[in-house]
Amino acid sequence: MKKYFLLSLILIFSEFAHAETIDTTKMTCTCVDLEEVNISANLPLNDNKVAGFFRTNQFASMDNINARLEGMSLIKRGAYAMEPQLNGFSGGQINATIDGMKMFGACTDKMDPITSYIEPTNLKTLTISQGTSGCQNGCSLGGTFDMTLQEPDSKGLIPFYSSLGFGYESISRSKNVLFLSGFSHQKWAFGVEGVYRKNENYKTGENVTIPFSQFQKANLHSVLKYKPNSKSTFKADFLLDDARNVGYPALPMDVGVARASLFALEYTHQGKIQTKAKMYVNSILHVMDDSQRDSLYILKTKPVGKSDTVFMRMDMPGKSSTLGAYLQFVIPWNNRNKLMLKVDNYTNRSLAEMTMHMRYAGFAPELPMYMQTWPENLRNVSGIFIQNSTYVSENLRMTVDGRIDYNIDRLQSKYGQEQASIFNYNLSKQQSKLIKSINFSTQYQLVSELSILANIGYSERMPTVGERLGYYLYNAYDGYDYIGNPYLKAENSKFARLSLTYSKSNLQLNISQSFSFVNDYIMGITNSEIPAMNFYAKGIRVYSNVPSAKLYSTDLQLLYSPTKNLTTFLLSKFTYGELSAREPLPLISPLKNTIVVEYHKKTFSAQGECESALAQNRINTAYNETSTPGFTVFNLKSNYSISSQHATLDLSVGITNLFNKIYYEHLDWGRINRPGRSINLFVNYSY
Amino acid sequence: MKSNIQKFIYTLALSIVIFSCQKEDNIISSNSLDGLSKLKEGYAIGASAKVEIWGKKNFFVGYNNLVVVLYDSLNLKEKITDAHIHFMPLMTMSMMGQMPMVHAAPVENPSETPVNDVFPGAVAFIMPSTETGVWQLRVAVHNHKYDKEGTASFNINVDSPTNSSLTVFTTTTDSLKLVLSMVQPTTPKVGMNDIEFTIHQKAGMMDFPADDSYAIEITPEMPSMGHGSPNNVNPTNTGNGHYKGKVNFTMTGEWKINVVVKKNGVAVSQNLYFNVVI
Repeated sequence: MKKYFLLSLILIFSEFAHAETIDTTKMTCTCVDLEEVNISANLPLNDNKVAGFFRTNQFASMDNINARLEGMSLIKRGAYAMEPQLNGFSGGQINATIDGMKMFGACTDKMDPITSYIEPTNLKTLTISQGTSGCQNGCSLGGTFDMTLQEPDSKGLIPFYSSLGFGYESISRSKNVLFLSGFSHQKWAFGVEGVYRKNENYKTGENVTIPFSQFQKANLHSVLKYKPNSKSTFKADFLLDDARNVGYPALPMDVGVARASLFALEYTHQGKIQTKAKMYVNSILHVMDDSQRDSLYILKTKPVGKSDTVFMRMDMPGKSSTLGAYLQFVIPWNNRNKLMLKVDNYTNRSLAEMTMHMRYAGFAPELPMYMQTWPENLRNVSGIFIQNSTYVSENLRMTVDGRIDYNIDRLQSKYGQEQASIFNYNLSKQQSKLIKSINFSTQYQLVSELSILANIGYSERMPTVGERLGYYLYNAYDGYDYIGNPYLKAENSKFARLSLTYSKSNLQLNISQSFSFVNDYIMGITNSEIPAMNFYAKGIRVYSNVPSAKLYSTDLQLLYSPTKNLTTFLLSKFTYGELSAREPLPLISPLKNTIVVEYHKKTFSAQGECESALAQNRINTAYNETSTPGFTVFNLKSNYSISSQHATLDLSVGITNLFNKIYYEHLDWGRINRPGRSINLFVNYSY
Repeated sequence: MKSNIQKFIYTLALSIVIFSCQKEDNIISSNSLDGLSKLKEGYAIGASAKVEIWGKKNFFVGYNNLVVVLYDSLNLKEKITDAHIHFMPLMTMSMMGQMPMVHAAPVENPSETPVNDVFPGAVAFIMPSTETGVWQLRVAVHNHKYDKEGTASFNINVDSPTNSSLTVFTTTTDSLKLVLSMVQPTTPKVGMNDIEFTIHQKAGMMDFPADDSYAIEITPEMPSMGHGSPNNVNPTNTGNGHYKGKVNFTMTGEWKINVVVKKNGVAVSQNLYFNVVI
C-alpha cells in the first residue's frame, strides 16, 4: 500500500491517485504505469488518509489539475475553460477524449476545449499519452488526454454513500457547491454527482478587478451500472454541463451559454478475452455574447467613451454533435503476447454561424450580415487500431501499435461551397483522406530500481474542421482573421521519447525527453491579398502547411520523503519549439517548476507549494508574442479530517498567491494578470 | 447482367448530357418563360402579329432582359418564329412652356432567329417614369411569314429601384455621355457571382451605340464593416458593349461595388458605385 501511495504521489500530487496493475506480467506496476497518469478525484470510499491529503483541492477546476500534470501547459483566455497544451502541441494536434469517446468543442475560437465540460468530480481517471503514442483513440501528434468518468462502486461494501461540500475563494468570491452520491443494490449500482460554481470578477495582485472574468456553471453526471454476473457489466452515463455568463477578458466577446450533454452506453466482458463495446452521443451548444462589450472597438475612428453612436452586435452560435461507437478486444494469445484490437467510428456534425447587426444612431438598422464561420459539415471517421505487447522477459516489454483512420468530410449545404468559392476553393461535396500512425515502445528494467522506456513513432493527423473550412475566424492573440484551407495536407510527426525512472522506497525520480519532428506543420500564414474583415483585424492568415517544425520537451519529476511525515515533490517542465528557419514556435511555455512540501500527521496535513517560471524571451513577434517576465508564487494549504465511524468531515483552508504577486504566464492571452492573494475555504461532509 | 449495367450507364450518361444541355441555356430553355411574367401585350398593326412582352419584373431603371413572344394575330395560337424585332423605347418629357423633350434608351434587339420560339432582347431604361416624363415602348415587328411590318406601342411605367443598377455619367477626359448598366448579378448571393456590365454611349438623344472600347475595374466593399472581398475578377469586354467578370461577397448585408471605367489605362469615371443587397 505504501508503494502504491508513493507511486501515486509521483503521478499526481494534487489529487488522489491510484494505479492499475497489469495482470499479464510480473513486472512491477511502477514501470508499467508511470507513463500513464491515473488520477481519481474525490472518492469518499477510499483511504481517508490518502484522500484527505489531496482533498484540499477537490474544488479545483480541471484547469488547476491540468496545470500540474507532466508536459501540460494551459492557454488562458479567461478565468475559465483553459485550453490544454501538451509539450507545445494543442488543438487538433492532441486528442482529448472521454473514455475513448470523441467530443468536439463548438467554438470556432477554441473557447471551449472539452476539458471545460468535465469537472474533477466527474473524473475517475485521467490518462495522458505523450507524442504519437497512444493512438488508441485516434491518430495524434502531440499526445492523448483521456478522461474516464466516475462510476459507483458496485462491490456492495457500502450500499449507500453521500458527500456534500462547500467551497469559497475570496479573490473571485467564488462559491462552490459539490455533491456526490452513490447507491448499490445487488447487481445494480447508481451514482450521481454534481457541481455548481459561481465566480465573480477576480482581482489581481495590484488589487485591480479584471472585468469579464466571471463565470458560473452547473454540472451533473449520473451513471447506472448493472452487473448480471461477475464478468459482464452494463453501464449508462449521462452528463450535462451548463456554463453561463462566462467572461473572456482576453477576447472581444464572452460566452452566454456553453452547454454540453453526453449519453453513453457501455458493455464490458472480462473473460479470457476482454471485450468493451461503447456507444455514445454528445452535443455541444456554444453561444458567444458581446452584449456587455463596448460596440465601438470595431470602428476605425473610435470616439472616446461609450457614446453609442453605433451599435454593433454579433450573434455567434456554434453547434457540434458527435455520434460514435467502438468495439475493443484484448486478447492474450499466448503467455507472452497480448493483442489489442479496436474498431471505432464517429460522426461529428458542426456548424458555427455569425450574424452581425449594425446600427448607427438615428438610422434604421442595417441588414444583418450573416456568414458561416464553420460551414455546416459532417465529418465521419472510421478507424482501426491494433496493438501487440510482447513480454520478452521479466524485464523487457515491447509494444507495437498502429492505427488507420479514414476520414470523410461532407459539406451539408451548398452555402458552404459557395462561401469557399470566394477563395477560389473548388470544393466538392465530399472529401476524404486516409491517415495513419505507427508506434514502437520498449520498456526495460535495468535493475530493480531503474527502468527505461523508449518510444518511437510516426503519426499523421487530419486538419480540424476549422483549419479546413474556417471562415474569417478572428484570433485575438495575433489580431488576424484566420481562413481555412481545404487543400491542407495531413500534418505528420516523427516522435521519439526516452524516459528514465528510478524508484526506491522513499525516492522516486523520473526524467523524460521527447522529440517531435513535424512536417507539414499547420499554422496560419499571412496572405496580404485577402482584405481583413474588420477594422480591428490586422490582416488575413490562411492555414497552411509549413515544411517543418521541431519540438523538444523535457520533464523532471522527483518525489522524496525524508521522513515518514514529510514528502517533497518537484515537477519541472520545459519545451523548446522552432520552425524550419530557426524561428521560435509561438506560444511555448518557458521552464516551469513546481515544488511542494507536504507534512502530514494522522488526519492533518499541511502543504506549501511554490510555482515558478523563468522569463520567456524566445518569442515570435510575427505572431504578436511579447516577452513574459518570470515569476514565483507561493500557495499554502492545510486539511483536517474528523472521522466518526461512518462519517467524515473535512475542513480545508488554503491561501493561493500568498505574497500577492502580480504576474501572468506566457500562455495567457492578453497578458492579463492572474488573481492576487486568495483565501480559500472548503468544507466537505461525507458518509 | 452486364448488359443491364451497360444500359444503365448509357442511360445515365445520356440523361447527364441532356440535363447539362438544358442547364447550359436555362435562361431561355424550352420553358423559356419560366420565372417570367407577362408585362404587356398588344398588336403590331400591319404585321398581323400579337406582341407579348415578358420580363422578370416590371420595367425598371436599368438593364431589362425582355422576351418578346409573337403570335399570329389571325389565330392567336400559332407562334411567329421568323421575324425581325426592334425595340424603340421613347421617353417624352413635357416641360412647362417648352417643346416636349424626347429621348430613347440603349437597346439590344432580339436576333432574327428565335430561341425556343421566343425572342429575347434587352432595354436599358435610363430614367424612371415620372409625372412629367412618360415612357413608351414601341416594338417594331417585321413578320417574315407574311412579309408585313407593323409596330406595337405600349405605355409603360418604369420603376425606380432602391438600389439602381444603371448610371449615366460624363467621361472626365472627353466629356462623352456613357450609360453604364450592371446586368448581373440580378440575385446576388454569398460566394462567387458573375458580374456583367454594359456600356453604351449616348451619341444623340435617340442614338445609344454599344461601346467596347473601355475597361472596367471593380472593388466590392462593405461600408459598415470597412472590408472588401478577395479574388474578384475585373470584367473584360465580350463584345456588343458587354463586360464580364467575377465578384465575391463574403457575407450577407449591404454591399457597394465601386466601379472605375477606364480608357487606355486612364480613368474616365469618378465615384461610381452600385449598391447591392444580399
